[in-house]
This record gives sequence, structure tokens and C-alpha cells, in this order.
Amino acid sequence: MIRVSADFAKEVKKRLGGETITNCYQCGTCTSSCPVARVTNRFNPRKLIVQSLRGKRDDVLTGEMIWLCCSCFNCQERCPQRVEIADLIYALRNIAISEGNVPNIYSEFVSALYSEGKLVKVAGFTEKQRENFGLPPLKKPDVEAIRAILAETSFGEVLKVLEGKE
Amino acid sequence: MDEEPRIGVFVCHCGLNIAGVIDVKAVTEYAKTLPNVVYAEHNPYTCADPGQESIKKAIKEYKLNRVVVAACSPRLHEPTFRRCVAEAGLNPYLLEMANIREHASWAHPSEPEKATEKAKELVKMAVAKARLLRPLEPFKVPVTKKALVIGGGIAGINAALDLAEMGFKVYLVEKKESIGGHMAQLDKTFPTLDCSICIEGPKMVEVARHPNIEIISFADILKVEGFVGNFKVKVRKNPRYVIEEKCTGCGECRNVCPIEYPNEWDEYMGVRKAISVPFDQAVPLVYTINRDYCIECYKCVEACGPREAINFDQQPEEIELEVGAIIVATGYDIYKPFDDPVYGYGKYDNVITSLEFERLILAAGPTGGKVVRASDGKRPRSVVIIQCVGSRDLKKHEWCSGFCCMYSLKHAIMLKEHYGEDIDVYILYMDMRTPFKGYEQFYRRAREMGVSFIRGKASEIVEDPETKNLYVRAEDVALGEPIEIEAELVILATAAVPAEGTEDLARILNLSRGSDGFFLESHPKLKPIDTPVDGIFLAGACQGPKDIPYSVSQGSGAAARAATILSKDEWLIEPIVAVVDPNKCRNVKVKCGICAQKCPYGAIKIEEGKPAQVVTAMCHGCGTCAAECPADAITQMHFTDAQIFAQIEAALEENPEEKILAFCCNWCSYAGSDLAGTSRFEYPPNVRIIRVMCSGRVDRDFVIDAFRKGAGMVLVAACHLPYDCHYISGNWRMKERMEALAKMLEKLGLTPDRFRVDYISAAEGLKFAELMKELTAKLMEIGKERIKAENQKLKPILDRMLARKGL
Repeated sequence: MIRVSADFAKEVKKRLGGETITNCYQCGTCTSSCPVARVTNRFNPRKLIVQSLRGKRDDVLTGEMIWLCCSCFNCQERCPQRVEIADLIYALRNIAISEGNVPNIYSEFVSALYSEGKLVKVAGFTEKQRENFGLPPLKKPDVEAIRAILAETSFGEVLKVLEGKE
Repeated sequence: MDEEPRIGVFVCHCGLNIAGVIDVKAVTEYAKTLPNVVYAEHNPYTCADPGQESIKKAIKEYKLNRVVVAACSPRLHEPTFRRCVAEAGLNPYLLEMANIREHASWAHPSEPEKATEKAKELVKMAVAKARLLRPLEPFKVPVTKKALVIGGGIAGINAALDLAEMGFKVYLVEKKESIGGHMAQLDKTFPTLDCSICIEGPKMVEVARHPNIEIISFADILKVEGFVGNFKVKVRKNPRYVIEEKCTGCGECRNVCPIEYPNEWDEYMGVRKAISVPFDQAVPLVYTINRDYCIECYKCVEACGPREAINFDQQPEEIELEVGAIIVATGYDIYKPFDDPVYGYGKYDNVITSLEFERLILAAGPTGGKVVRASDGKRPRSVVIIQCVGSRDLKKHEWCSGFCCMYSLKHAIMLKEHYGEDIDVYILYMDMRTPFKGYEQFYRRAREMGVSFIRGKASEIVEDPETKNLYVRAEDVALGEPIEIEAELVILATAAVPAEGTEDLARILNLSRGSDGFFLESHPKLKPIDTPVDGIFLAGACQGPKDIPYSVSQGSGAAARAATILSKDEWLIEPIVAVVDPNKCRNVKVKCGICAQKCPYGAIKIEEGKPAQVVTAMCHGCGTCAAECPADAITQMHFTDAQIFAQIEAALEENPEEKILAFCCNWCSYAGSDLAGTSRFEYPPNVRIIRVMCSGRVDRDFVIDAFRKGAGMVLVAACHLPYDCHYISGNWRMKERMEALAKMLEKLGLTPDRFRVDYISAAEGLKFAELMKELTAKLMEIGKERIKAENQKLKPILDRMLARKGL
């Protein structure tokens, strides 16, 4: 049995992207539109919302569910109550990260972006292939500029959290 | 009219609809051979102008005094031909129809010869009845152009105002001290959040000021007699111990009164003085002394001084009203779940009903609009509202109370508006029902404001003995887990139930109630405001839970329905009613009264030693009494015993063993047989249908007579049980009667399959056709020889049974 509380819903509602969470009437259009939910029951956006509404803060923020969204926005497109579900999931991720709850793969992405200016390192093989196809070499990202942007936006906060975690 | 019948028969081709199957010429020639038929012809379209002209011409030329039209179903064109013969100067009830289209050409297209034979017999049956037709005149009753509205809630208020505006005098009788009803108890109204008394108050004042309305408050209905247009109503005005005409409503008496008692108007959460009004906007603004609490210190008398409005000797006063129509608008009560251990209502301080909450949040209420807990007077920070308490619960009240979802949304929104982030509101619901204009948007607004909606029903509430907080347990269906909510206040949205006194009023007015206890309307779709008693109408929640807009509309609807009567000087009543022969009625000698007992409308009055009396204006013409009367003293006009016996005889003159004689009620089973024809469902042509208005009319003697005349099979077909009967309960009376008869006939040696009671709706054409096939197959199975043998054995016994009655 869980003790219900509206506190977490109130917290989420104040976050960018989380404003519409209480509009949900649990119809399940999101889950049935979701390409991830179609292949695994580890992800269920409707359930993610009701868990948040009932105050299951720890389950939501430390669980894997919020990270399994592929951001296709099908749910958001189809929601009959205009709950911005994909945005809501970003909001939940932001709260999770700010508390140091982030899967390793995300930390790796972030450090790659910080050090290389790219999420994915381009292998030498890929460069060669481009040459074979007659494509121009990829431009080197302006890492300094990217770092400046990251520092200026709240991403800086995320980085701090990650550094602390390491 | 004892002159020799001169019958004209008019056979219709209906283009090829009839003539394409049936040899109409042969039917016409056959008709000419029937007794008393002096003229017969056939027309391409009898219902068209030339056809009707031809009837009128023949009536004059051949001095016809009866007309038989062999065409379509009487349910279709009987009114047309009645008008036609009336235009030719003949009484409209001297017309009879033979249904040779739906029952012959359309039902048996692949057997044209048999269809023609059947058509001939249908004409023979119609002629047999026509010979015995009597002219009838509609009854006229005068109309008292005044109305009584019982109940001064928002529905009754609207009904009274509308009628008064139309120019009719209205008596508005209210049981309580003030009109206003539940609406006057409420704080805000959904979905607009208008202040309830601010919008109802002006209407209440308008009622009081209207020259055509007389409010009779603090009064009870004692007795209602009479019928449509002519009701006599006895009302008791209960003593207020304050003279209505002298009280100015100043309130000086209240100021000096030393005694307080719990105020019902505040759901007993506030108090009022022993001399007071229940609330400040009361209409009429007349004070009342509660003698249960008054200590007779007479300070009020002193304060009232020269106005001399207080009279401790006041007695109940009985007055009599005469009205032409009555509108019942007695509303509903709120269920208080003292008897349900789940919620702890009455046991835990901080569990209240929604109506109690209304009085808490209302600025003029006992707490001045502060929402506080009974246990400590503190404002709650978390509130759980529980839906469907006592509603949608087979152990309490089966129905959905309709407006609770909406008022709970209102309560949640108001709490959120008052206290914002500082309060958590949870609604435990099973289904949110928000179907009308602006309601769904209201639900969304509550969600936007952060109200938590949890699908699930509370299974228990536990109180913390120290904090007096409540732990509400339920399953969150969306979460799929059991949950617990700590609430500082629990509000129960409890069921709306029939108002106290509904049962008594039903008895006084002779109205029916549904299994839910609310008043029953005449028809759930097409007559939602009418009752089975002509001249009495329903408005508002006395017929079932209704919100304000719905009650207001019904109030106006009931006013309009009542005006259809009040606007006329005379009310016409169809003459197909029951008439008692005082010389035959047993009640003169022995206590009988069976007819009165069986009449679905309470239209028969019984006095010891006197013949039964039919109140014609209350009779709906089902004929149940005529069938039940043990002395055959009652005749149903236009469906007399003699007429029906003549039809039976004509139907069974030839090859009776091969035939199914069916008695079908006009509204359902006859309509079903018509639909079988209209849908071209073919069935064997050996059925002969006798139409009666209600299956309740089918006398045991009809069945007995059919068997003694050799019928192969008898069917009595009715509207479906339990509620389809158009005369409330005629089908039930028929069922009881026929079950007893079936047992007797079986004992006498009749194969049980030869007598059948069945139920066919107007939509069940297919069922009718299938039943005819089934019965015919059984008839063949039993075999003509066995039927003949059985009938031979039965005949002397049945003859004796009928001979006793002179038949």
C-alpha cells in the first residue's frame, strides 16, 4: 500500500514542460500510441504520469522508465487532453539529473559533447567511407563555442552534477 | 339505435399491395353474401380522396348505418376512415376495419388462394363485429382553470411562474416553512459558480408577488379526489403560532427569544431560535414558533407588541382547493450513511456529507463560510471527496444520483480557489459523469487546478484517535495498487433518494413509483412528464435525481403540459371506457370490489352496498375490469363481450381445428403482427387475430368459448413484462388470469400446447412470424383428429361453464 501525496505533482507542475501533468485523465492513448511500449512493458507513459500524480517520487526519478522514452512525440500529438507528455518526461529527467539520477550512457553522451562537441565520436572508418563516396570531410565542431553555450544554459548545472558524481 | 344494421363493405386494392395477391373481386362478392351487408365494392385506393368519396356516396345512396373497410391495419387508417364516415353523417364508432393487407396479402404472398380465403374470413369477422357496433360520443368534462403545484423547489417554482404568466391561478403548496427547496441551501451552482440564492432568491420573491400565485406553505396534502380538469384537493395548513397576515418579518421576536435549537436548514450544524425563520431569505417571510422547544416565556409576544402577530392558540386549518391540473414537484432527499460502517459517518467528527459541506462553505452558513473541522475547528489541509456513497450500490441504492460528480467538482474547485496550493483535494470516483453543457469543461478546470482524481472506491476509513485525521483506503485502479490517503476532512457525496412522504403522496394521488421509489412517468421517452393519471404531471427530482437546469426545464415542461388542459373549457375523453350495469353488479349484495382492485388507474369507486362506479374521466379503456368482473356486469365500450364473441364465432365457423385464434393487444402484439406483414415475414395463414386495446381485456370466457367452438389453438399475446404494458399492469392481470385458466383446461384434458400466452413487442415482427410457424407446427403435430376428440370431450363441460352465465 502506498501513501498518496499531491506534493510531487505540484513540484512537477512548476517545471518547464510539467505544467500539464494534472490534466491527465488516464485514458491510455499515450501508451497505446507509444512505439516503445509496444515492444516492452518496461515503459508505460500513462503509468509514469499516475505514479507522479500519486507522489511516487523515488520510483519515478530513480527508475529507468523516464529514460526509455524515444521522444517520438506520438503521445503528445495524440493526447486528447493536451498533456505535453514528451515535454513532461523531459521535465522529470531534469529533476532526476539535478539529483544525480542519470544512467551511465547519458553521462557518456554528455562528456562526449563536452570534450568533442559531438554526442557520438566519428570513427576513422566513417571518414574513409565519406571520402570513397566523394563527400567532403566533416567539419570539426567548435568545441569552445559549444562549451560556452553549455555553461550559459542550465546544462552547466547538469555538468556540475555529473562531475560531482564522478 | 336499434334499427336493422345496413352494412357497406369497401375492399381496397392498395394498388397491387392487396390486389396483387388477393382476389379482391372474390372478397367483394363474398362480402355481399354476409348477413346485413347491403352493399360492397372495391376501390384501387380506398384511403385516397376518390375512395373516401365513394364511401360517403354509398352511405347516402344505400342508407348505410355501418361501414367495414377491408384494407390496411386499423392502427394506420382507422382515424382516416372514422373521419370519412363522420363527414357523411355517421357516428365515427360505426366503422370497423378488416386488416387484409398486413395480415393477409403481405403475410402470405406465396399462397394467394389461402390469403384470399383468410381475407374473406377477416371481412366476415369485421362484419360480425360491425353488426353490434353502437354509436359513441366522446365524454366532455368541464375544466377548472386553476392549477396546484406540490413542492416549492426550483422545479415547482418554475412550473408555478410559467402557469401564472399564462394567466392561470396557481396554488403552490409547500411542506416546509419556506419555498426554495434544496437550491436555497446551496452555496454556488455548477458549472458557472453563480451564487445559488442570488439566482433563486429573485424567483422566490417573484412567486410571492405574483397576483396569480397563492403560496400555501407549512402545509400538507391530505386528500385528492376527482379527475382531469376537476380535482378537489384537501390541504392542511399547520400552525406556525404566528398569524401570516400580521407578521411583518421584522425579526424583533427572534432577537428576544432565549431558546436555540439545531437548524435543519443548516443540516443541523447551526442553530435557530424557537421563534425564527429557517434562513433570512425565506419566502413567505413569516416566523414560526417551534413548540417542541418554546418555553412559553412570551418575550416574543411582548416584542411583537401592537402588531399582535403571535397566537399560541392557532390550530391546524383544513382548506379545500379546486383545480384542473396538478404538478408534482416534491424533489428528493439526501441519504445519510449512518448505516454504512465503511465511512464512519456519525462516528468520526471529520466525515461529513456534501450537503453539510455546502452549509460550511456558504458565507451565510453557521461558520460564516469558513471550512473547518468539527474535531478542532481548524481548516483542513487535505480533503478527500468520496463519490457514489450509497449510489450505484446494489446494497443501498441502485441508481446513479446524477449530479454528485458535478457538485463534487464544484466543491473541489471552490476549495482550490479559496486555499490554492495550501490544500490538497482528492476525489475518489468510479466514473466521472459530466455529460451536459459546460460540465466536461468544468471537470477539466478541476484537473488544471491540480485536484487529484483517483479511480477507485473507498473500502474503509480509519480515524487517528489523536489527530482525528482520517486514513482513507482504496485501490488506485490506474496505478494498480492499493493506496492510503491521509485526510483532514472527508466529504461524502451521498445518494439522492425519494423525498420523505413520496410514498404517501403516491397513494393520495394514485401515482405509481418505480422500483427506486421515485414517481414513475407515463413513458420514459415520449411522456417523461406525464403520469398515468390524466391531469397530473411530474417536474424535477421527484421523478429521479435531476440538477438545476434539468429541473427548471421540467418545471416549464410540466407547466406547458398542464396548460394543454387548463387552456380548454372542456376536456374530451375517448368513449372507449368501462361502464357498469348496476343491475348486474354483485357489490350491491356481497362485498366484491374486484374491479376496483384490478383497475390499474384507480378509476373505479366502491362503496358497500352500492354498485361499482367508474369515474369515466379516469378510465383509460384497457378493459381489465370487464374481463375480471365475476358477474359480467362491466362492458368496455367498442370492445364489448358480445362484439368479441361475434368475432370468435365468425373466425371459427369453418375448419376451427386448423386455426389459431389470437387475442392481440393494440399497442404491442397487434403492432408486432402488423410489422410481420410490413416486413414481409411469411407465416402460415391459419391465424385469426382479434384486436383488443389491452391483453387485460381478454376474458376467460373468450378462451373457453373459442375452445368450445373447436379452435385448434388459442394465443393471448401481450406487451412484455414487467413494464411495457400501456395500461401499467393489464398484462400482469391477464397473466394471473390465464395461468389459472391454463391449469384448469389442462385438468379437463386439453393438451397444454393448445393454449399459449406470449409477449410480443411492437418491434418483434419476426418473433410474431416465428411464433406462428412454431404454433402451426405444433398444431400439425398434435393432429386434427386428436384436437377434434379433445374438443368433443371438452364441449359439454365448457358449454355448462358458459351456460351458467347465460352464454
